[in-house]
Amino acid sequence: MPNLYYDDQVVRQFIKATLLWGLIAFLAGLLAALQLANPLFNFELPWLTFGRLRPLHTNAAIFAFAGNAIFAGIYHSTQRLCKSRMFSDKLSQIHFWGWQAIIVSAAITLPLGFTQSKEYAELEWPIDIAIAAIWVVFAINFFMTLKIRKEKHMYVAIWFYIATIITVAVLHIANSIEVPVAFFKSYPIYAGIQDAMVQWWYGHNAVAFFLTTPFLGLMYYYVPKAVNRPVYSYKLSIIHFWALIFIYIWAGPHHLLNTALPDWAQTLGVVFSVMLWAPSWGGMINGLLTLRGAWHLLRTDPVIKFFVAAITFYGMATFEGPLLSIKSVNALGHYTDWIIAHVHAGALGWNGFLTFGMIYYLVPKLYNTELHSKSLATKHFWIAITGILLYYISMLAAGITQGMMWMDIDSSGRLTYPDFVETVTRIVPLYWVRSLGGLLFILGALLMFYNLYKTMVGSKECPNIKIPEPLETRTTEKETGHRKLENAALAFSILAFIAIAVGTVIEFLPILRVGAYVNSEKAVAPYSPLELAGRDIYIREGCYTCHSQMIRKLPSDVMRFGEPSTINESMYDRPYQWGSKRTGPDLARVGGKYPHLWHFKHMYNPQDVISMSIMPSYPWLFKNRTDFQSLRRKLSVMKMLGVPYSDDQVGNADTFAEKEAKQIAKELQEQGADSDRLEDREIVALIAYLQALGQKGIDQTPNANENEEDEK
Amino acid sequence: MSNDDKLIEGHEYDGIQELDNPLPKWWLMTFYATIVFAIGYFAYYQIFDGPTSQEELNADLAEIQSNQPEVSTSTDSSEIDVQALLANSDAMKIGEEAFGQFCIACHGQKGEGTIGPNLTDKYWMHSKGDLTGILVAIRDGFPQKGMPPWGQVIPPEKHAPLAAYVISLKGTNPPNAKAPQGNPIE
Repeated sequence: MPNLYYDDQVVRQFIKATLLWGLIAFLAGLLAALQLANPLFNFELPWLTFGRLRPLHTNAAIFAFAGNAIFAGIYHSTQRLCKSRMFSDKLSQIHFWGWQAIIVSAAITLPLGFTQSKEYAELEWPIDIAIAAIWVVFAINFFMTLKIRKEKHMYVAIWFYIATIITVAVLHIANSIEVPVAFFKSYPIYAGIQDAMVQWWYGHNAVAFFLTTPFLGLMYYYVPKAVNRPVYSYKLSIIHFWALIFIYIWAGPHHLLNTALPDWAQTLGVVFSVMLWAPSWGGMINGLLTLRGAWHLLRTDPVIKFFVAAITFYGMATFEGPLLSIKSVNALGHYTDWIIAHVHAGALGWNGFLTFGMIYYLVPKLYNTELHSKSLATKHFWIAITGILLYYISMLAAGITQGMMWMDIDSSGRLTYPDFVETVTRIVPLYWVRSLGGLLFILGALLMFYNLYKTMVGSKECPNIKIPEPLETRTTEKETGHRKLENAALAFSILAFIAIAVGTVIEFLPILRVGAYVNSEKAVAPYSPLELAGRDIYIREGCYTCHSQMIRKLPSDVMRFGEPSTINESMYDRPYQWGSKRTGPDLARVGGKYPHLWHFKHMYNPQDVISMSIMPSYPWLFKNRTDFQSLRRKLSVMKMLGVPYSDDQVGNADTFAEKEAKQIAKELQEQGADSDRLEDREIVALIAYLQALGQKGIDQTPNANENEEDEK
Repeated sequence: MSNDDKLIEGHEYDGIQELDNPLPKWWLMTFYATIVFAIGYFAYYQIFDGPTSQEELNADLAEIQSNQPEVSTSTDSSEIDVQALLANSDAMKIGEEAFGQFCIACHGQKGEGTIGPNLTDKYWMHSKGDLTGILVAIRDGFPQKGMPPWGQVIPPEKHAPLAAYVISLKGTNPPNAKAPQGNPIE
C-alpha cells in the first residue's frame, strides 16, 4: 500500500533540479555582471549579449532555481502537514518533468531572442500555455491533497501555499493574454499604459507570490522544525498573512512612479507599499522570535545560520521596498543599480539562503544519512554572505552615486553631468566589485554542491518514510472564527482569492478603459511597417534591459531628455517599452537627435562613437536580413487590436517597408556609410524605429522652424 | 521560552506547536501609523488640493530657472577677439578638451569628419565657418541635418574657446579626411 508512505522521491528530484538550475542561474548572473563591467564579455555573440542573457538570468533564478526549491519544500512539507501522501504520484511526476521541460525551452528560446520583453514574463506564447497547464496540474495535485488530508487543521505554511498557487495562476494568465503572429512571436492585447500597468501588477506580485509567500510558508515549516521550538505567535500569523496578501496586490504601480501613469494609480502604489511594511515584518518577527531559546544553535548549526540570515535579509529588503516606494526616494533610486541591490538582497539573501538552509536540512533526512561536512557548510555560509554584502553594498553605492549625478543641477541651473556616459564611467569600478561578490556567492554554492553530492553518494538507501497517525482526527466539532476556516480548505481558498481580487479589480477597471486617459485629439501616428519591423528587433535584442523609454515628470529627466513622456505616445506600443533600468540613456525622444550614420556606426561598435560606452556591439544586425515577409501578418494583428492601419498598409506592408528601407539606405550612403545593399539589412529597420521614437506625436519639435531659418 | 509564553492546546502540526503570544505592540503601532499615513497621503493628493505631478514638475522647473544667473547665450561674436583666443594657449586647451569630449564622436579625432562633416577643409554646409556661424552650430545645432544642439550640454563659457579651436583646425589636412560637403568659403 503506497498510501502508507510519503512520496519523497519527487522531493529529491526537485532538490536536484534546484541545485542544477541554481548553478546555471548564478553563472548567467556572473557573466551578465562582467558584461556590464566590460563589454568585451559580450563576445559579439548574439545569443550571449546582455540583452538576451539578462532575461535568461532572471527567469532561471526565479522560475528554475527558486521555483524548484519551492516545489521541493511544498511537496515535502504539505504531505507531512496533511499526514497524507500527495494526491497523485502521476501528477507529481508530470509537474516535475513538465516544469523542467519549460525551463529547457526557456533556456533555448531566450538566447535565440524569442521574447515578449515583459520582465519575468518574457517567454513566448507556446511556453506561456505550457506554464499555465503545468501550474494547473500542480494546483490539482495540491488541492486534492488538502481534500484527502488526515490532519484536521491547515497549518500557516499551507495558507501561504494556497495564496501562492491561486495568485500565481491569476497573475500569469492575466499578464499573458497575447495574440500570436508566428510560432514564437506574439503581441499582447494590452498597449502602452495598460501593458505597463498589467506587467507591473504581474512583476511586482511575482516577487510577492513567487518569491515571498511560498518562502514564508517554507519558513513557517522548516524554521520551527530545525530548531524544534514552537512558532512565536499564532495571532501574528493570522494577521500578517491576510494583511500581506490583501495589501501586496495593490503595490504594483510603485514600479511606475513619476511616469505618465495617472496620479491616482501612483498614489495607490505609494500608500499600499508603505502599508506593506508591517505585514512583511510580521513574518520576520514570527520567524526570528521562534528562534528564542535556540540561539545557541546559531553558533553550531549551519542550517540555522542560513535561516537567520535569510530572515534578516527578508526584513531588510521589505523595509527597503516601502522606502523606495516613496516618490522622492524613488526619483533617486529608480532606473539605477539601487534597485539591482534591492532585488539581490531578496534573491540571494532571502530566497537563496532560505533554500540553502532548507536543502542542508532536507538532504540528510531524505537520504537517511548525516551531512558529509558541517564545516564545509559553515564555510559556504561565510563565503556566500561576504559575496552578498559585497554585491549589495557596491550596487547600493553605484545606484545612489549615479542617481545623484543624474539629478545634480549646478548653481547656473544646468545639469552638472549632462554627458550620460560620465555617470556610467563613474560606477564601472563598482561593477567589478559586484562581479567579485557574485563570484564568491558561486564559490560558496560550489562547496554546497560538492558537500551534498558526497552526502547523497554516501547514503546506503533512500528511506521510505511511513506516514504517522494524525494528531487529531477530522471531526465535526464546532469551532469558530479563523480556526473554523483552517478546517475548510475551499472556503479558505475562496477568501484568499477575494483578498487578492479586490486590489486587482479596483486598480485595473479604470486603466482597462484606457480611452479615458488617451487624449484622442493628441493621438499619435502608428509605426510604419519598417519601424514596426525595427521595433521587433529592438525587442528581440532586449534593448529594454538597459534603456528606458519614459521621461519622468522630474526636472532632471526633462532637462536631460526632453518633455515628459505622455500616455498617448505609447498608445500603440505592444508591448510597452518603458523599461525599468537606465544602464544607458532614455530613448523616448532619441528620434531625430542624431543622423542615421551615427546609429549605424554606434550599433556596429558603440566604442567608435562613445569611447567610454559599455554598450555591446551588434555586428549581426549588419548581416541579418529584415523579415519583410511577416509584416502583413503583424500589421493585420495590430489592426485587429485597434491600431488605425489602412487596408492598403496591411495588404502591402512588405512593399511599404522595402520602399522605406531603400530611402534610409540611400540617406545612409549619402552620409558616408561605406557598405552597399543595406536596404534589406536589419540595421536599417532598427534605425527607422530609433528615428521614429518621440516623433509620432503631433506637437513635437516646437523650434523646427527656427532651425530652418538658421540654415538660411 | 519566557515564562509568559503559553502553548495553544491542539495546535500541533507534524510536531510544530504554536504559542499564544499577542501581536507585538510596536509592530501594531507601526502598522496603524502606516495606515494613518496612507489615508492622509491619499486624501491630500487625491481628494484635497495637493499638487498633481505635473504641477510639482512645473514648480520645480520654475525654481531652477529663477536660480539661473543671466548667462549670455548670445552668439554675437563682434566683441570676441578671435585672434586673441587663438593666441591664448589656456583657451585653446579648454577648446581642445571640449572638442575631445563632445565633438570627436562625429567629427573625428582631428576634425577630419566621420559621421559629421570634415571641419578642417574650406567647405561649410550651414555657415561661413566664422566664429558666429560655429557658435550657432554649437549652441543650436542643425537637428534636421543630424547636428544636435549642444548649448545645454557644453558649459557656456567653453563655447567661444571651442569655436576658436574649430577655427584653428582649418587647413590642418589630417589623414583620412572626409570628402568635402557644402560650399567652399574662401
